[in-house]
Amino acid sequence: MGAQQRVFKQKIRSTSSLRKIFKAMELIAASRIQKAIARSQAASPYANALTRAVSAVASESNVDHVLTSEPENVSRAAVLVVGPDRGFAGAYSANLLREAEELIRLLHSEGKDVSLFTVGGKAENYYTFRDRAIVQAWTGFSETPTAEKAREIGEALLQSFNAESAENGVDEIYIVFTKFVSSVKHDPEYRRLLPLEVVDADEVATGGTSAPANDAAAFPLYEFEPSAEAVLDSLLPRYIDSRVLSALLSASASEQASRQAAMKTATDNADDLIKTYTRLANTARQAEITQELTEIVGGADALAASSAGD
Amino acid sequence: MTATATDTSPAQGTALGRISRVIGPVVDIEFPLDSVPAIYNSLSTSVELSEGTRKLTFETALHLGNGIVRAVSLQPTDGLVRGQEVTDSGAPITVPVGDITKNHVWNTTGDCLNLEDGEQLEISERWPIHRTAPAFDELESKTEMLEVGIKSIDLLTPYVQGGKIGLFGGAGVGKTVLIQEMIYRIAHNHSGTSVFAGVGERTREGNDLIMEMDEAGVFKDTALVFGQMDEPPGTRLRVALSALTMAEYFRDVQNQDVLLFIDNIFRFTQAGSEVSTLLGRMPSAVGYQPNLADEMGLLQERITSTRGHSITSMQAIYVPADDYTDPAPATTFAHLDATTELSRDIASRGLYPAIDPLTSTSRILDPLIVGEEHYRVANEVKAILQKNKELQDIIAILGVDELGEEDKLVVHRARRIEQFLSQNTYTAEKFTQVPGSTVPLADTIEGFSKLCSGEVDHIPEQAFFNVGGLDDVMRNYEEMQK
Repeated sequence: MGAQQRVFKQKIRSTSSLRKIFKAMELIAASRIQKAIARSQAASPYANALTRAVSAVASESNVDHVLTSEPENVSRAAVLVVGPDRGFAGAYSANLLREAEELIRLLHSEGKDVSLFTVGGKAENYYTFRDRAIVQAWTGFSETPTAEKAREIGEALLQSFNAESAENGVDEIYIVFTKFVSSVKHDPEYRRLLPLEVVDADEVATGGTSAPANDAAAFPLYEFEPSAEAVLDSLLPRYIDSRVLSALLSASASEQASRQAAMKTATDNADDLIKTYTRLANTARQAEITQELTEIVGGADALAASSAGD
Repeated sequence: MTATATDTSPAQGTALGRISRVIGPVVDIEFPLDSVPAIYNSLSTSVELSEGTRKLTFETALHLGNGIVRAVSLQPTDGLVRGQEVTDSGAPITVPVGDITKNHVWNTTGDCLNLEDGEQLEISERWPIHRTAPAFDELESKTEMLEVGIKSIDLLTPYVQGGKIGLFGGAGVGKTVLIQEMIYRIAHNHSGTSVFAGVGERTREGNDLIMEMDEAGVFKDTALVFGQMDEPPGTRLRVALSALTMAEYFRDVQNQDVLLFIDNIFRFTQAGSEVSTLLGRMPSAVGYQPNLADEMGLLQERITSTRGHSITSMQAIYVPADDYTDPAPATTFAHLDATTELSRDIASRGLYPAIDPLTSTSRILDPLIVGEEHYRVANEVKAILQKNKELQDIIAILGVDELGEEDKLVVHRARRIEQFLSQNTYTAEKFTQVPGSTVPLADTIEGFSKLCSGEVDHIPEQAFFNVGGLDDVMRNYEEMQK
């Protein structure tokens, strides 16, 4: 009985200290969401402008550029999975990885091989645990992505895109990330980066802010110097970088939002557990007292009876 | 307590005493100073009640001095009056032994309860129910496993042939069903004799048992002794000894291998505690009798196997308030070769038999006895379940998604193992409509080995629920895919 009480006390203690950590993490995440959203919004004007420019070139020039035309047969696709560096974010990484698995299954069913690129420790661990080859993995900036990192990733992806098929060059590039809609809604989804898809302007804006809806018809007539191809060549890497960056920013906002929600639930769960354990500990304590009382009273009675009998 | 037994020759048989006090099941009787009955002697009297004359038996428990003995009644004491005459039989309570006991139902004092009208039994031999345990040098030293065909038992708490097996559990987790299952599995395929002691449990269950045994055709090799919950504590305190005496006769005189089932050994302790204070003993921890360990030892030490002939015993042990530290179950633990603990958590999830894989143990779960492979698989199963249990706290707070990859795999496998430890049993057929299954030990080990190594990770949990061997799992899986 006494042992039971001790066990419950111990559990209450450890759960309370865990609860403190969760509460702190919840507050930290809450303050970081705002920063992440602000960063994501700050990046969107550039992204929008770039998108407009690329659409203009792609639609106006009619050039047959390698980056924009659909290849005849795709044998290999690159998949960039943008995940978190650490856990404590509930089902955030599990949902993302499920989406990635779905995409990979789809690609496999179309007869395409997959080259994996990952951002964040969680995604890397997931694939290395399952013995699946990762071409390149980046870690350490899932919460605070920067343009430099996005450029690094974009370069690696383009390099792989430009490589020959024999050297594991890819013909398509997909990106899987969590789109931040609001602090309670963020959905994992995948997009094809290359070759360019004809997309609506507002869908391009992945940062959660809607881009100005410009009709293609509203584009002025452009002339390209020195040539449309040259413009595309230099424009597209920037476009890729910007898309990667906006995915990273959106993912980081989603990560913080998930973390806040997860830590809130964890705090609540810890509260419930503490309550349950406290009740159990009280019951154990009362049982112990009752038992001791009964024993004392019984013993005293027995002593009285035996001395009276003498 | 104070007087030493007066040296009276035990063969008096006719000494008369008079009742001086009646306190419920405990009676004080005054005898002439020169013919005080010895401790454990049985005394008898009869009372006139409206429904007729009833014979009462008492067992001498204490000498109080001045010729007064304190005795425990084996029947209800209503109708007794002070001054009534009591006869000393000069000997302890005896029960009939030998082949006559089979196919019959007995009570503690050795009266047959299922006689046909006009039927007479020719009882040739009676043994006293108080006997000494076999000497140390007569004990059986070899150890062999008893296969029962229930996966969780064979794998995690292998039973010992000729050993003592305890089934622990709180109220309503399936002790009696499991002991009946064991009777079905072992007694029904067992050529020797079985003895069943019903100690302080439901009378209805005794009835069911007789019908079932009759149907299965094993009643002719079985002696049943009942002192159920409607009987006074004196009876419940002695009924296990009566049954054990019958079993000892088969072992020692007829040189047979005997199965002894006791349901429920806790009622024996409980009965002892009910009379203890009335006998004038100081209550000990949790109000139990001060001689709790001694009383249990006297019974348990007699349930043992001697060279060549065994008593394999299975005892159900009720655990008050699911508290295993309660003195009653705690005292019983030490005597057992294998302990199967039934857990309320597992029972409440609908997984039967609700055997707790982490706390149930067996003395022979040892590579030298059960073999390397069995030992390895059993430990691996326990390790996975233990790890899973540790992770439950994290899961409760953070959710399963927060676990690392390896931990997720552990939880995934542990869930399958937990389901696979459940099994369809013969006695549960009337509850589940699923006929029972017997799984050979080799299949059990192979099945769990595959589970631990992850070969069946792709099969959904439900396919493992309430099945026999891995073949059944595969069959379920195929059906689910359709």
